[in-house]
Amino acid sequence: MKAIDNPASVSAGQHGLSSAIEQRKAYVQVDLLVIPLIVLLFMGIFSFHFALLVGDWDYWVDWRDRRWWPLVTPLALSVLPGVFGFLLWDKLRLPLGGTLTILCLTLAAWISRYLNFHIFADFPMNFVWPSTYIGLGLILDCMLLLTRSFFWTGLFGGFAFGLLIYPLNWSMLAPFQVPLELNGTMLTVADLMGYEYIRTAIPEYVRIIEESTLRTFGSAVTPLTAVFAGFLNILNYWFWLWIGYLGAKALWIRKIV
Amino acid sequence: MKFLRTLLLPLLLLCVTYPATSMAHGERAQMPQLRMRTVHWIDVQASTTKLAINEIVKIKGKFMPSEYWPHHVNSIEETAFLNIGVPGPSFVRLDSRVNGVPMIRSTSFHKGEVYDFEITLKARKVGRYHVHTVINVEGAGPMIGPGMWVEVTGDESTFQNTAKTLLGETIDLETYGLGNVMFWSALWFAVGLAWFVYWLTKCPIIVPRFKRTAELGFEADQLITPMDRRIGGIFLVLTLSLIVGGYGYAQEKWPITTPLQTGRIDIPPLDQPPTPISIKLIEARYRIPGRSFRMEFDVINGSDRPVTIGEFAAGNLRFINAKVLDVKAKDEHDLVASDALRVEGAPVAAGATQRVVIYADDAMWETERMTTMISSPDAVVAGMLSFFDDKGGRHLVEFGGPMIPDFGMVKG
Repeated sequence: MKAIDNPASVSAGQHGLSSAIEQRKAYVQVDLLVIPLIVLLFMGIFSFHFALLVGDWDYWVDWRDRRWWPLVTPLALSVLPGVFGFLLWDKLRLPLGGTLTILCLTLAAWISRYLNFHIFADFPMNFVWPSTYIGLGLILDCMLLLTRSFFWTGLFGGFAFGLLIYPLNWSMLAPFQVPLELNGTMLTVADLMGYEYIRTAIPEYVRIIEESTLRTFGSAVTPLTAVFAGFLNILNYWFWLWIGYLGAKALWIRKIV
Repeated sequence: MKFLRTLLLPLLLLCVTYPATSMAHGERAQMPQLRMRTVHWIDVQASTTKLAINEIVKIKGKFMPSEYWPHHVNSIEETAFLNIGVPGPSFVRLDSRVNGVPMIRSTSFHKGEVYDFEITLKARKVGRYHVHTVINVEGAGPMIGPGMWVEVTGDESTFQNTAKTLLGETIDLETYGLGNVMFWSALWFAVGLAWFVYWLTKCPIIVPRFKRTAELGFEADQLITPMDRRIGGIFLVLTLSLIVGGYGYAQEKWPITTPLQTGRIDIPPLDQPPTPISIKLIEARYRIPGRSFRMEFDVINGSDRPVTIGEFAAGNLRFINAKVLDVKAKDEHDLVASDALRVEGAPVAAGATQRVVIYADDAMWETERMTTMISSPDAVVAGMLSFFDDKGGRHLVEFGGPMIPDFGMVKG
């Protein structure tokens, strides 16, 4: 403390860290301080970002359709994995950007759904559970690790990221798309829940879901949307990597680190 | 800091630990013209105002989209949805119908047409709720109907809400599929966490790897070990296998599914005779000092009985002519003025055309913020008159037109 207050009291050649063990200890302390902060930061910014760009498609089970949800979600979801994936790889050679950011989003989403939607607003959890995207983050990170190339990661990983959202979540979503009948109208279980669990501010017409407008493609809506989302997401992921690259170049970051 | 500790923190704690009950749904915040010229709600009532968990309450009545619907507001003739305004899913909606047609999806309503509606709710959460009927109009927002207090008692844990699928399975909508969701979510979380933990085992990470990456430059890939790449390969295969496996599992377990259902419903009009009464608004003046609305009409009585005005309703406010009707407020927030309508020039004889003047005088104009109509850039009002004949027969007639404010400044 004295040395900090009065730099002159530190003699020439004297360092704060006098041995490799002390240096390692200091590095570990940096990790212990910074990594939890990064996790909290990712939880905050990713859940806020996701709420703004995906919002209802992820909040309600009766919004997860075959056409819009698998198209909108990867485009919004790729932002943080792209930007922070670049930074973590470029500065630390860590293939963690995809998995870590999406893990943080998932944790924040479950906390928010449970506390806000279930405990506070009284919606049953099976109506408001968050989708899972962790597998997509793993694909990006593993691709980056194996190819050590942003180009190939974007091409294969970015494509798979858009392509696989629907099949990744189908194991959880399928039971909610079982048909039933209500007063002479066929609905899915998810539709029925949306009708019965009253949302005064979300009338039925607000849902942006598939409306039978891909006539030429018959019933192949899901694979068509998935492939389209995949192609679009290649460019999207590359774009956010580029934003990460610009961020890494920024003078203020260099000054900090 | 001391200020923060002594004032702000207790305030913050109070806000967090003592949530105030929501008392209204913003109906008074809507412009008076919007309330008067969008949807007229008629005879809205609840089958009960006290019920236990799992018991049913039916909200029923009529509504009529106004002929004077403002041009600058998206029309109810495009897309609309009959809804209910309650704080969250304190009730579940088992059924809702307009003219007998189930209102599961959105529809459109015609201006000037009277519709019957009925909404069946099942009590889910204990509490006292101000239940409003609502029609959501796409692009225009909620058109809020009259509210009534409904009290729910009992044990929430006994609430039941089941449905039967077309595959013959009876499901509990409160918990259906949640175990499966939690299993897959936890599994993916564990796999993702394992990947994160693998890289954490290289601790210390940040400073040494940052320095080493900077030192190595284009050769920084040397930081990736063969073990890292093996682990990467294993995780990639595991991830793809889990996705394919999960998809196959779901296809096996739930082979029959349908896409989410949407689309529009058409409602046939009610089979009802046209009203034999027609009116023409001559003048509508709102006198601000007395909270008094004076309206002058020419009434043409095409029926075979004499008629008089029993009720004037506008923007969910009801002004009753006590000489004709005995209507009492159902609760403290029921917007009924039981003896606030004065009618001059009635009854109107059968077949006659007669000038009638009505006065709707009550403080509700002020308390329900209807007086702000004088500051509207579109000073047109509308309302609904209920004419009654000497046998109790009722005829609903809408009127509308410009409103002139009277500031009480001009004598005589």
